[in-house]
Amino acid sequence: MDTHAFASLAHVRILLVPVGSIPQSLFEKYAAEIRSFDSIRLGDIPADAKDEKARFMPSPLSTGHLHLSFPTHPPPLSHSPLTLFRPSHFPLAVIGIASCSQDESLASLHSQFNDSLLDAFPAGGIFPLARNCFVFETEGSATSLNTGDNMPGLVVLPSMMGNKRLYIGTLLADLCSHILGEFGVVVQVLESPLGNEHLNSTTLPVLPPLSDIPPPLNSDAKGDALPPILTHNSQPEVSKNFKISPAPSMKRNSSSGPYFRQSALSVQAPRKRMSTIGTASSHGRLYKVLGDFFLLAGRIEDSVIWYTEALQLFKNSHDPIWHASALEGIATASIIESWSAGHGLHNSTAATKEPWSDVSEKLHQATALYFKPPTVDGESIHSLLAYLYACCVLRHASLLFSVWSAKGWGPLAFTTMLQPGPKPYLPPTLSYTESDSWLNLERLSSISGISRTSISSVLASLHGPWLLHLGFRERIAILEATASIYACLGYKRKEAYILREVLGCIMDLMVCGREEDGATTSSIPTTAGLGLHNFNPTPGSGYGPTVGVRLSESSDGNVSILILLKYVCKVLGINLDAVQLAPSDTDSTVAEDMSASILKYDNEAVEEHHEPYGWPELQVGVVREAIAVAEALPDFPAVAQFALSSLRTLQSVLLPADQYHLYSTSMRAFTTARRRGDTRAIEYWSGRPVISIALSPLPLLRLPIEKSASALRAVSSDVAPLLQGATDPFLYNPRKQGIAKGKAIVVQNETLEFVVILQNPYVFDLDLQSISLSTSGVPFDSQPTRVTIPANSIHELIISGRATDIGSLVIRGCRVQAPGGTAREYILPLFTTEEEERLSRNRSSLACETGRIKYTGLDSFPWTRAIKRQSKQVDASSRSSFRFLECKVVPEQPLLRIRRTTVTHGAVMLYDGETSTIRITLENVSNLPIDFVRLAFEDSTILPAQQLLSEGTLSVFETYETEYDLIHRPVFTWDKEEARPISPGQSLTLTLTCFGKVGCTNGTVHISYSLSNGAGTEDSDVFYTRQLSYPLMVTVYNMLECSGMDILPFPSHYHLQDHESCNRRSRRKQLSVDDGTEWCLFSIDVRNMYGSPFDVTFERIQEGAPSATSGATIPPGSMSRIVIPIKKIILSDEELLKPIPTLSDRQFVVASSKLSTEETRRQRELFWYREALFNCVKGKWHETGGTRSGELSLRQQRMTLPMLETFRQGAARVQMKLCAEESENVTTSNGRYFPKPNEFVYLTTQVTNLTALSLIFTLDLDLGPLDCVIHEGVLSDLGIGRLESGESKEVVTAICFLANGRFDISAHVRAFDAPHLDGRAAKGQLTAIVEGEM
Amino acid sequence: MSHHLFLLSPSDTPLYSLTHYSTKPAPSVTSPLASNLPTWSTSAFAGTLTALSGASSATQHTTGGAVRMGGGQDRHVIQMIANASLDVIEDIMRKENTMYLKSVDKFNEWTVSAFITAGNMKFILLHEGKNDDGIRAFFVDVWELYVKTMLNPFHTAHTPIRSAVFDGRVRASAKKYL
Repeated sequence: MDTHAFASLAHVRILLVPVGSIPQSLFEKYAAEIRSFDSIRLGDIPADAKDEKARFMPSPLSTGHLHLSFPTHPPPLSHSPLTLFRPSHFPLAVIGIASCSQDESLASLHSQFNDSLLDAFPAGGIFPLARNCFVFETEGSATSLNTGDNMPGLVVLPSMMGNKRLYIGTLLADLCSHILGEFGVVVQVLESPLGNEHLNSTTLPVLPPLSDIPPPLNSDAKGDALPPILTHNSQPEVSKNFKISPAPSMKRNSSSGPYFRQSALSVQAPRKRMSTIGTASSHGRLYKVLGDFFLLAGRIEDSVIWYTEALQLFKNSHDPIWHASALEGIATASIIESWSAGHGLHNSTAATKEPWSDVSEKLHQATALYFKPPTVDGESIHSLLAYLYACCVLRHASLLFSVWSAKGWGPLAFTTMLQPGPKPYLPPTLSYTESDSWLNLERLSSISGISRTSISSVLASLHGPWLLHLGFRERIAILEATASIYACLGYKRKEAYILREVLGCIMDLMVCGREEDGATTSSIPTTAGLGLHNFNPTPGSGYGPTVGVRLSESSDGNVSILILLKYVCKVLGINLDAVQLAPSDTDSTVAEDMSASILKYDNEAVEEHHEPYGWPELQVGVVREAIAVAEALPDFPAVAQFALSSLRTLQSVLLPADQYHLYSTSMRAFTTARRRGDTRAIEYWSGRPVISIALSPLPLLRLPIEKSASALRAVSSDVAPLLQGATDPFLYNPRKQGIAKGKAIVVQNETLEFVVILQNPYVFDLDLQSISLSTSGVPFDSQPTRVTIPANSIHELIISGRATDIGSLVIRGCRVQAPGGTAREYILPLFTTEEEERLSRNRSSLACETGRIKYTGLDSFPWTRAIKRQSKQVDASSRSSFRFLECKVVPEQPLLRIRRTTVTHGAVMLYDGETSTIRITLENVSNLPIDFVRLAFEDSTILPAQQLLSEGTLSVFETYETEYDLIHRPVFTWDKEEARPISPGQSLTLTLTCFGKVGCTNGTVHISYSLSNGAGTEDSDVFYTRQLSYPLMVTVYNMLECSGMDILPFPSHYHLQDHESCNRRSRRKQLSVDDGTEWCLFSIDVRNMYGSPFDVTFERIQEGAPSATSGATIPPGSMSRIVIPIKKIILSDEELLKPIPTLSDRQFVVASSKLSTEETRRQRELFWYREALFNCVKGKWHETGGTRSGELSLRQQRMTLPMLETFRQGAARVQMKLCAEESENVTTSNGRYFPKPNEFVYLTTQVTNLTALSLIFTLDLDLGPLDCVIHEGVLSDLGIGRLESGESKEVVTAICFLANGRFDISAHVRAFDAPHLDGRAAKGQLTAIVEGEM
Repeated sequence: MSHHLFLLSPSDTPLYSLTHYSTKPAPSVTSPLASNLPTWSTSAFAGTLTALSGASSATQHTTGGAVRMGGGQDRHVIQMIANASLDVIEDIMRKENTMYLKSVDKFNEWTVSAFITAGNMKFILLHEGKNDDGIRAFFVDVWELYVKTMLNPFHTAHTPIRSAVFDGRVRASAKKYL
């Protein structure tokens, strides 16, 4: 490739061509050897030529150098018009390189060499001026050395030769000498008038073949004393033959070195000669050509003289192109001069101006001249003009660039500028790493004094529509050179711009090349403009929709083009490598390193939060182009990769149509690639598809529950949990399931279902070829599924599988695979608190950055930014907070089902207090036996009661009632003895007792069962149960209501003997007791609120008394009072001192009530007597005319203090009677006495000690109305004296009733000095009706 | 003569762009080099090439539906040029302390002027002629409008400006100064 070195005008080009069948490596080796000579000292060049050939020969003592460059290609034929204008553009010599290891004769090699030259150079051209073929003899070749001597232009280098390099140097010097000689010949022709006419004929003249120049011209020229001019040495003194004084040139060259000036003094400008030849044309062009040749010949002084002359002439004549070229030449010459003159180290002219400003100014002029070429006729001229212009701009830019990159005017800069060679030369200041940082580039600018902007602005003038004139090769070369300068300047975006053009150029060549092959039609539609905007996908219009032509395209270089593409895209902020191509999809299921996948997870979490960067419209356009390029190459995997990468990275800015197009393109490309046998696969691309994974809860029927093994041993009978409700009273409580500790329990070999939520942010349906769970721990048997996620939506997928072993199953995440891609694991940690915290910390650190603009421009791209942030990243050790979804796999469990029940429709109807039974038949449907069955119940009354209890606001009494209700009157009960092992296939019937309790609306029967002594549970302290639940609707009718319970003293007047006649009445009969003072009456009102009558019976079950019942049939809506006598009781002090028990064992820290001891005592008395009462009186009901019966609860009733006093047996028995005289009884009727008024009667009060102690009693009598009674002695505190246990004593008091009427006489007997018996004062009562005349 | 204005966020994302066609005639600096352009090939890549080199202004009439005035420059190329000029702007803005960077870059037929706000927003104007004072006044106007937009607490440095009021005022200012 052309390298556009600054000093290319001074380079003698020598083309190296391979001859014969030399292997490439060998050719490269020899070529490199030859290339190592980049300059030859003039003194080394043999100057043996005579006459005109000696004109350009150096003097033996001259110190200059001949600069060589060795291009690999000849210039295209279309450049032939430049032959005279720019001889340095053409190879002046050709060296063929052959190796004679093969059995080829040297003659054939020679002829091959000549043939290849004929191919490369037109027969009529001047160049090459010299040719030579180097035959390198390799080891072991049998060719004789001597044969080479016979053939001119063929040199054999024996392999034995020791200093091959020296020899090659000599050969090159010979070749150069030949070239210089030929220069003389050419110039001689041009100097002839005819030649000069040719030279001035067109803008870019071509010299006809030398043979076409009529010989008379030559002879004429000789006659015109030309030969003497062309002595073998063109030193100035030789030029004295020119008859014209060179005075003007002296002035013009005053800026040149003193040495030069001195020598120029004697120069005689060839003005005279000019007047003699070709008067019609100016000699400017001729002088310029001479300058060119002298420059090439390394004779700088001469070339400057001739250039100056030429410029002088061009100033007047309008010949801008040649003028510009002369300016370029003189600029080059001055650089070379500086280089040779001690490498510019001792430069003294830098005081005012920068040393290069002169050169730069000349080049600037030249650029301006090239920019305005004369109006030309031919089409081909345009391309050459544009080429010359571009070269000139590049020369200018590379001058500045070289000085800039070499840190100023110095040897390094000259080296850079002079550097020939097929490869571009990068000065060491730019070739180290980090050399493109802003700081380093700016340092270069400040040292050299050339700003990057100025280089860039010079370079920018190169770019324009005229580039289209250029042929492909030149265009690519020029653009490449431009791009590389931009790259070195650190102007990446400009570089990307130019690289796009380079790419376009290359692709155009490829596409056109194919079209010329005629094998296929282009798949890319022809468009005006950029061709991106209306790039429409035409599926099927690929290579031969009708003809299945498959080209065996060479894929050489495709990789480089793709690299270039990726680079351009990266500069614009698209990472085309976001989705990688994996080598093959065969076995990529190897579990990734944990930390790596965690890192990926983190990065992806971060990725979602990046702020926008880059230019979306540009990005989309460039991506389209990139895909078009990859399609045209064609490299189908790359097409797919690019399309998917851009889908992934640009998803937010792509239009729906684009997204769809990219997706379909990628899929199409992929299938094509597959068809063509490409095994590369694409890694999974669509971002994170999995949002969440959850174990779908097992049906309750199948859910195993972990139980402590102690539940097996202790059949729990304690009621505490039932009352408190805080700890779970049930073997299973569905409400508690949500609070499970994160580890779900699943059963071995049973199907598990995982709900996977997938997302698709794209506008097309995303097809996932396979998705499966990625698990660790116990083996999990699951089939990958194929799923299509609808566009722009969240999709729920259920993956089922079985765990085949016992242990812990960890679900790390999902493994997804797109069609044709490789599988990729996405881990999904649980969002624990730590994890949430970590994520939010990451997010906030990002959010912190998004607010401020820390990185701008290209630095804001995530990849560069990530590099800068790396130091702050926390190390991986802090990621221990990762936890995954875990399942505990437990051994296989039996399964039970309810085969049948006796309940119809799942509903139970009960009367309040009724008890019925339900039978449930269970069947073991698994093939494992069941050896543990346990029932637990739940009903709607439990929870409210538990709540009341836990609130703690109830009094002790109420608490007891509630607890009693919960414990002793459960809705459901069962007989634990019924539980038996159930072998597979067998069934078991259980009987439940159901008790009607008002307020119960529903209930549930939970049946827990397990195989408790199965495998694996012997050592562990847990086992697993399963649960069957049987819900029941319960309806309880509250049909009877008790109220107004009361206890009345047994009437003292009642005597059995009085009422024997009444015995026939059953109700009265129940009241029959032997002794009225020992009894009291229990009465209660029972109301029937239901629609049918009920028989209600109260039964007395009392020790020391016959059992008796009292009942009534209560019609609907009515109320009856039921009375039953009960015997008074007395509870011992020990009993009464017991506190009110709590049925639960909960602790009362503080007594809830602030009662005095007296009150407490009373409360306890009330409580215990009530309990005693309920023990002896039982209510029952029976459906009248029906079969249903139940009990009637009295628990709602309250006991009052009078009731208590009545119910309690007194400390003494008081019996009172009235007697008229000692013998005569007062008439009595119905327990009432009818004494006469105004007569003394005797009130006899008999007191019997009923206690076990001997006590002193006092008696208080109360007569009313007292005014109408006269009595003997005092009535209060009558001493009775000590009575032993069971002893009785009578007290007789004489009284006289003074008036008619009713008198109530009551007696209170109290134990003296026995405070604990205060409450047990005995009472006697007597009613006297006084009638009679006064 | 057309003008292209881009408001670029610090991460090079355009938040607002405007194409303004002024009535002033474009200075025609044509080189004979740019005449008689050949059409080398008909492939899409050649089209890209033509557009990128700036040669399409003469030939392209309409590619979208709208009729393009002023020769119809390819929008993508305009954007590429604006994007490429960021290199120079970033370079210069570090060294100069003025906000208005006059004619900071030239590419093809375009001259690029820029205005850097304190928040590192870059206003880039591609223009063809010389109009220093007008462009400066225009930039100052746009800056003021932009600052007013930024007063919105919900507006960040990366929020695209879609306000019709902003658009209208920028257009008015462009009409006035450009």
